[in-house]
Amino acid sequence: MVNVIVLIKQMPDLEQIRSDPGTGKPIKNGVPTKLETLSENSIEAAVTLKEKYGGKVTAILFGNEQSSASMKRAYAMGVDDGYIITGYKESNYLFTARVLAEKIKELPHDVIILGNQSADTFSGFLSGQLSAILGEPLLGNSVSIEIEGDIVKVKRNLENKSLVISAKKPAIVSVSQEINEPRLPPVMQIMAAGRKPIHTEVPKIQPSGSVQIVSEISPKSDRKKIIFEDVDKGVSEVGKILKEATR
Amino acid sequence: MKALVFSESSTLAAQVISGLKSVLDFSVAVPKDQADSVSEYGAKEVISLDGNPQMDAFGKKISELMNSYDFLFVPSTVLGREVAGYVSAALGQISVPEISKFEIVDSKCKTSSLSLGGKSIIDIISDAKVLTVAPGFADPVKVSEKSKISVMTLPDSSVSVISEEEKKGTGVNIESAKVIVSIGRGIGKKESISIVDPLLKAVHGELAGSRPVCLDYQWLSEDRQVGLSGKKVNPNVYIAVGISGQIQHIAGMRGSKIVVAINRDKSAPIFEECDYGIVGDLFQVIPKLVAAING
Ligand SMILES: Cc1cc2nc3c(=O)[nH]c(=O)nc-3n(C[C@H](O)[C@H](O)[C@H](O)COP(=O)(O)OP(=O)(O)OC[C@H]3O[C@@H](n4cnc5c(N)ncnc54)[C@H](O)[C@@H]3O)c2cc1C
Repeated sequence: MVNVIVLIKQMPDLEQIRSDPGTGKPIKNGVPTKLETLSENSIEAAVTLKEKYGGKVTAILFGNEQSSASMKRAYAMGVDDGYIITGYKESNYLFTARVLAEKIKELPHDVIILGNQSADTFSGFLSGQLSAILGEPLLGNSVSIEIEGDIVKVKRNLENKSLVISAKKPAIVSVSQEINEPRLPPVMQIMAAGRKPIHTEVPKIQPSGSVQIVSEISPKSDRKKIIFEDVDKGVSEVGKILKEATR
Repeated sequence: MKALVFSESSTLAAQVISGLKSVLDFSVAVPKDQADSVSEYGAKEVISLDGNPQMDAFGKKISELMNSYDFLFVPSTVLGREVAGYVSAALGQISVPEISKFEIVDSKCKTSSLSLGGKSIIDIISDAKVLTVAPGFADPVKVSEKSKISVMTLPDSSVSVISEEEKKGTGVNIESAKVIVSIGRGIGKKESISIVDPLLKAVHGELAGSRPVCLDYQWLSEDRQVGLSGKKVNPNVYIAVGISGQIQHIAGMRGSKIVVAINRDKSAPIFEECDYGIVGDLFQVIPKLVAAING
């Protein structure tokens, strides 16, 4: 039996963000949100452990009042119990780690699973932060997880080498996108998930330190966007351009 | 002000020192096999870390060392981001990720980073003491005088290493390529990669790929991966073949001069990020395109 905590987050659907041609700023209002990419891999990894060893998966999401859709998705994928903590502050990573650590301390667990880097901020801070605050070992950027008795063993992928490493439970495991293909839950489970209660809480601590976003602009894209749907015309035009440009 | 750089890579550490040594006094801490090579870039001191090179061991040691420094800079790698997180939480200090610019304004840090997965660039003013640095921050510049090296022992780690395997790189450097042909999941299987060989020849290009092709399926070596978590490239010509153009991929090739996309899905996001696009099956388009270039 394993008790797994999985940390997940919600993010804007990045592909749907357009920029305002006047100000050059990304338009974030009205963009639909979704479960963050690596959160899906994390849920899949957590649920797979439960299926293999038995036990329970509890998800914690630090977000806001609008985060319940992502938690319902987590339920549909096989998460048993979910906490949403509201009051997320963009770019204050220390606050995020402290709020999550406070909640984790209340919940008995063998393994904490999270994404090694989120698809939106890309910071990759959280796993190391939690290791420092909770005093639990980190098995980072894993592409496989095994549990043997009170030992957690993973394959860790680094830029220039891969390692097999292990540590005693309770341990933190961050996962890489390559660890699995997240399941698509069947309709029945999606419907059942909608009826399942979600615990909602507020942080027990206040943010410290100042982090102020003073400007946000979209990188300029002035691509020509000349698209050929007629392949023969396309290859002849593009062929000429490539011949010229790569001479 | 005094800053410490930590990295497992002397090359990446050298980028930070070279980029900021005119505004900060640097020491640099590296695993001992990197100490010699990092000593040529003008750091006041090189701290060579001896012991089991695991995240928590580095995290504890660097947190201790930070008593004597105003800032910690960590080039962004898997290990680097973990260590930066560890130190920021251990010290209770603010951290900022993936910076491409740094200055001190009224004793606060002003930094620029990519946000929204690369859809935006944000400027932040903060009390940050811990910063991860995006790859390619600055060109490393050697200086004539070597830094003095001192050795320190790492504390024990709570993580045991069972086995370790070096990855074999191909020695390719796609960052300096003038023409890149980049393949995505649309190529279908490893055996089909040969379809692009004649195209590579015709345009004198270097082969690269998206993350799934390099990491997930390992059809190409990891040093050919383009994107936010791979290489940032800026060739004259970038030809994206069977790549959908997700934002994390675009973030690695935005610096390309001319972008050509071949994709059978008219609504693929890559067509929003290209100069010339051909909608069609790559297995039909590529031979025809090669004929057109060679003809
Ligand atoms: C934190 C994080 C970091 C990431 N970093 C990177 C990164 O550095 N680099 C990166 O690339 N990705 C990265 N990704 C992954 C990224 O989000 C996408 O999943 C990935 O880029 C998709 O790769 P692809 O375009 O090859 O595959 P897909 O998205 O599957 O696209 C395949 C495309 O091929 C087309 N196609 C299929 N068959 C044919 C055919 N016969 N002819 C023509 N076209 C065809 C399809 O229409 C489709 O558009 C990252 C993700 C996260 C969460």
